[in-house]
Amino acid sequence: MASHTSKTFLSLGRINASGLGLRRPVSRVTYATDSSVNASAGNKGPPDRGGRGFLRRPRRTAGEPRTEKMAVDQDWTAVYPAAAVFRPSSVPLPVRMGYPVRGGVPPERKGNLELIKIPNFLHLTPAAIKKHCEALKPFCTEWPSALDTDARCDELFPIKVESTDYVSDGPSVRNPSARIVHLKVKLASLNLDDHASKKMLKLVGKRYCKDTDTFTIAADSCPLRQQNQDYAMYLLTVLYHESWKTETWEAEKTVADMEEYSWDDSPSQRNLLDMLVRMKAAGEGEGEGVREQLLARREVQEYKDSVTRLKNEGESESTTLQYKEAVKKVLNL
Amino acid sequence: MAAPMAVRRELFSLTRILGGISHSGPRALGACSGHRKCNIIRSHLPLASSTSFHTATVFSSTPSSITVTEEPDALFQTVSLLVKGHDRSVLDSYEVFASMAAKELGITINKVHELPKDMERFTLLKSVHIFKKHRVQYEMRTHYRCIELSHITGCTAQVFLEYVQRNLPEGVAMEVTKTAMEKVPDHILEPMWGDHPIDDKLSQ
Repeated sequence: MASHTSKTFLSLGRINASGLGLRRPVSRVTYATDSSVNASAGNKGPPDRGGRGFLRRPRRTAGEPRTEKMAVDQDWTAVYPAAAVFRPSSVPLPVRMGYPVRGGVPPERKGNLELIKIPNFLHLTPAAIKKHCEALKPFCTEWPSALDTDARCDELFPIKVESTDYVSDGPSVRNPSARIVHLKVKLASLNLDDHASKKMLKLVGKRYCKDTDTFTIAADSCPLRQQNQDYAMYLLTVLYHESWKTETWEAEKTVADMEEYSWDDSPSQRNLLDMLVRMKAAGEGEGEGVREQLLARREVQEYKDSVTRLKNEGESESTTLQYKEAVKKVLNL
Repeated sequence: MAAPMAVRRELFSLTRILGGISHSGPRALGACSGHRKCNIIRSHLPLASSTSFHTATVFSSTPSSITVTEEPDALFQTVSLLVKGHDRSVLDSYEVFASMAAKELGITINKVHELPKDMERFTLLKSVHIFKKHRVQYEMRTHYRCIELSHITGCTAQVFLEYVQRNLPEGVAMEVTKTAMEKVPDHILEPMWGDHPIDDKLSQ
């Protein structure tokens, strides 16, 4: 008892000393861990409870922590074989974590809640990972060595099916977005002729990207991923076969439906030939033969190329320059 | 023609590898989870009778039987893991773990990069009643890490993803985007209309 009271006096004395303004690096703030000093000193528990009447069984003293008995070359995978909370008595590292008190350091690992709260990777040390991977190796297969470049993969396996899996905390394992499937294929890898590829582009509409020549089908109407995959393949099959078909009404295709500009039978050709015929009207002044002759001339062919390029590729430095040169040659400027 | 044929033979020989004991593992754990996070036992695939795992004694200690089936293996051109969490240091450690595991299993890592964090902020009234001018602001930070792997077979992807997902720390979510490669199926190789592309019956 005497020792117990003397300890309390000591603690009181310390606080008074700092209160007098003595500049000692002793902080007034104490952590919960300090109470363990009193508990181990007196085996009867906190003093105010002892007066209640019922005698608690004497609490066993905690033995030496495991860290004292650990060898330097021990097998750490036996200490932390699976994910577990941080046990300060099992981890021999001088880890400190938490906001430091003023003029102090972060608190030590004994009784540190911050270390217990944060997920630890003590069960995944490099030695443990190597052991796990050694055990998992027999279940893995090799990637075929012939498919080393992306180009080779695209050539032999042109269809790409993308799907996403989701893993998260929560009451349910399922995620409804996991059923969405994207099927990507390059049209160049399908067996399509000229008419079929044009019709396929018209059928596909916005799902086609011209820069990468990729056609994407996003399937999300079915509740299961396998169903969406099957549906996407079915759509691809149907589009392919439909694009090879030629319907009778396709003969009514007008100039406005054409994908590319063609100079023959266009207003540009008519205008140019009329102008050249009128320029030559002073000369021969024939009928039909003149037009064919004019068409065969080199300058007219150059003009045709430049106009076609301008219309198909859009306006740029090179196309407008080419057009200018062609016009100058045709009109003999 | 010889090169593609050799490739095809090699590809067809890629068979699925199934593990015998690996199926008993999830079943044993299945009793305690509808929840993916099983707090009681969180060990990886219990395989083999290696004495370094003391949890192996909980499950049966027969050596794992690997069965090889004739089903062709899936081929993934890219597998991209996006991990999301509130703590950057946890994601750092996880990235070290996942990249080391990939290296040990012989998987090529294309890129490991960090996407910029997202901060969701909102302002609420500080008091239960009135005091409109006094508010309190909260924010939730989500950090990301993206690991891109390339050229993985279906079996290896299954093994690696299961290993990595079982060791996901608490409070971290993951999205796995797999791009599988497939050949052009036989029914799309040739048009079915043969020599008569004009179909009058259907158009009428």
